[in-house]
Amino acid sequence: MTELGTETRDGIAVYSIQGRLDLVAAPNLKSLIDTTVKGGLIRGVVDLSGADFIDSSGLGAVIGGLKAAREAGGDLRIAGATGQVDHALKLMKLDRVFGRYSTVDEALDGFD
Amino acid sequence: MASTDPLALDCRPDELLDAVHALLERAWAAHPEVGEVDRMMIVTAVGEIAANVVEHGATATVASLSVAVDDDGVRVELWDDGDPLPADTVTSATMPDDPLAESGRGIALARDAMDELTYRRDGERNHWSMARRR
Repeated sequence: MTELGTETRDGIAVYSIQGRLDLVAAPNLKSLIDTTVKGGLIRGVVDLSGADFIDSSGLGAVIGGLKAAREAGGDLRIAGATGQVDHALKLMKLDRVFGRYSTVDEALDGFD
Repeated sequence: MASTDPLALDCRPDELLDAVHALLERAWAAHPEVGEVDRMMIVTAVGEIAANVVEHGATATVASLSVAVDDDGVRVELWDDGDPLPADTVTSATMPDDPLAESGRGIALARDAMDELTYRRDGERNHWSMARRR
């Protein structure tokens, strides 16, 4: 089962995913980001270092989160994408849409 | 020419996503010669088609999956007993113009990742066939 989690670091939401970010898990991540953004944490980092697979639904959830964050005046970055996840981001031509970082620390650093 | 018996299983649609990953892991364990890029492309494509079956196959009761690896490459077949899809499901799929589109990429993505992707209706079943050459 995919596990989703959030924590706050320096006033920025960090969303973590363990396992597959796919059709089943995607709506849960989307609603988690929506709720967190509505609650005022408009800057976020999606930590993909624990995700071993992503599909177009998972990508859709992250894109939806990006839109929600930007509409609220914030932003959403991606960190730690490796293997198939990194590969899929490029295949889906989303490697240029997001600010992408190797680690959560790098993504947090310099967030306005 | 080394040809291998296909790895195959039947499952309920709600088990299909797990089954895809498990079956592909078995295939890679049996065929370590399949390269990393090929593996990523194949799991991406099969995952998308399987997700499509799960999402749009409300009437399906059983899905069947097979993986065959030989010197030419990898072939994956997926069947389900749900309602038919439009015949041009694969050929008409396009990537959305908007890079921030939240949906609608799945089949185009699968088609781009594989050398061959076809959908057809076989009797009472939907049949997806996809292949990636070495």
